Amino acid sequence: MLITDKILGDKLEGAEVAGRSLWKDARRRYLRNKAAVFFTIVLILIALFTVFGPLIAVTDHETIDFSMIGRAAQSGQPSISNGHYFGYDDQGRDLYSRVIQGTWISLLVGVVGAAVAVVIGTLYGAIAGYFGGRVDSIMMRIVDILMAIPFMFVLILLLVTFERSIAMLFVGIGMLSWLGMARIVRGQTISIKNKEFIEAAQASGVGSFTIILRHIVPNLLGVVTVYATLLVPEMILTESFISFVGLGVQPPDTSLGQLINVGAGNLHYGTIWQFLFPLGFFVVLIFSLFFVGDGLRDALDPKDR
Amino acid sequence: MIKFILRRIAVAIPTLFILSVVTFFLMHAAPGGPFNSERPLPASVMANINAKYGLDQPLWQQLFTYLKGVVTAFDFGPSYKFKDRTVNDIIAQGFPVTLTYGFWSFIVATVCGISLGVAAAVRHNSFLDYFAVGISVGAQVLPNFVMAPLLLWLFTLTLGWLPGGGWDGGGFKNLVMPVIALSTSYMASIARLTRSSMLEVLNSNFIRTARAKGLSNTKIIFSHAIKPALLPVISYLGPAFVGMITGSVVIDTFFSTGGIGQAFVNSAFSRDYSVMMGITILVGALTITFNMVADILYAWIDPKVRL
Repeated sequence: MLITDKILGDKLEGAEVAGRSLWKDARRRYLRNKAAVFFTIVLILIALFTVFGPLIAVTDHETIDFSMIGRAAQSGQPSISNGHYFGYDDQGRDLYSRVIQGTWISLLVGVVGAAVAVVIGTLYGAIAGYFGGRVDSIMMRIVDILMAIPFMFVLILLLVTFERSIAMLFVGIGMLSWLGMARIVRGQTISIKNKEFIEAAQASGVGSFTIILRHIVPNLLGVVTVYATLLVPEMILTESFISFVGLGVQPPDTSLGQLINVGAGNLHYGTIWQFLFPLGFFVVLIFSLFFVGDGLRDALDPKDR
Repeated sequence: MIKFILRRIAVAIPTLFILSVVTFFLMHAAPGGPFNSERPLPASVMANINAKYGLDQPLWQQLFTYLKGVVTAFDFGPSYKFKDRTVNDIIAQGFPVTLTYGFWSFIVATVCGISLGVAAAVRHNSFLDYFAVGISVGAQVLPNFVMAPLLLWLFTLTLGWLPGGGWDGGGFKNLVMPVIALSTSYMASIARLTRSSMLEVLNSNFIRTARAKGLSNTKIIFSHAIKPALLPVISYLGPAFVGMITGSVVIDTFFSTGGIGQAFVNSAFSRDYSVMMGITILVGALTITFNMVADILYAWIDPKVRL
């Protein structure tokens, strides 16, 4: 008896000490993951670089140095002394400024795409999952149909039909980003909606939408955060793909995909820095985002530990 | 089973229909017709052209004629830019090319991916395992549009072994780079999927029973473990196939292989709407069919799937 009491007491005491919220717990787990922490710092540095990098640039991303046109291979190499740290591009523009601009656009596309997915996908999935029955099957059938469409082709079609602009790119990428999120959120909602606290809310006469917004959505935040973080690199890949083909961001603005394409096209002139700098930023960016997403998943999804 | 297949087909047909209608209206929502040029044509000429391509009819009738042509005669209509070519001609020219390197990429990605994944799981925590994990993590950042320039730089510009582009009737030298560029990231994903599901299977009870019975390791892996382990891979084959077709856009523009992706991008730049529409619908049909086949295959192999 005494021993069980003691164990029980220890446990209770332990429970008091361990009175951590899900988020505190997740933060602790995340900070223990060295790779995730390292790549979070890298990501923050890249973001800071896109903000403060332009301060030490000699010219902005659209200024053309006419004396450099066609001479990038001979005298446009990266150089610390003249301030063109990444050299010139083939049209006599400062590659340093252009890489910053490209990175910024890529980050923007990723974040906006993920944000659209979070808002639309979460609400759509939560509504479908909560109401169930016919509403659910119709809503999910629509998602199935949209998912079966070859989106890259439709996206290019959209960009050609309407203006080829950043806004249109956002609309198109936003349109495809929320589908997977809706499916995941729906599954999660179905597993939550039969819990006692939802029943309690229903019994006390709370309306359906209030239940969804106040009781279901907050409980989905873990899954949504993880999936949204993993969506960011995917959106960046999509945008880079489109820009690589030349249908994305239009000049003088640029994005990493476009810079890689231009750099790759000029490889045989021996201007390899035009290829390597954007490629390096792209690879590091995507890599960091994947690791941060993985780290968040490990931290927020206790099942996977 | 038959009911399941019929149900999948019943979903596929409206999907394809919706895709066709949406692309049709997108095309017609475009500001300016396909025959607008810098110098406006006389009204009578415009009227003649519109009559020739049926653009003077009401929109729903145009849609009906178009869909009827596609369904009954597999006819995607004339190209708006090339007077002497139909959309069918353009597709017939590019499609075999895309299918050829797409097919080889698919084979390379699945065979290499599965072997790597199985080997990594069987030799868990060995050098081979770390190598496989390293490759599959690294390949996430090497999508086709990064692989293509890297390969070109290595094999053409530095080593001078392979031609920098062209198709040459599908010669081996012209196939190498497109196939590697297309298959790398999918190979990595397949390897990762196979590895994790194989690890799970190898730790399950029935494998322990098989070991207790005294079966050899080879027999356990090949006749017991591999079949359930490949289930998640099957469901990935659909998206992988779609990715290869989509990737042809990059491969074609970069290596000038002249496949369907090149036709698509060219028509996107010259606003040849009928070609874009034809290719979109064709790729859509392929995507839907392939996903359907993968689903049916999955249900057929996995008895746990509710039909």
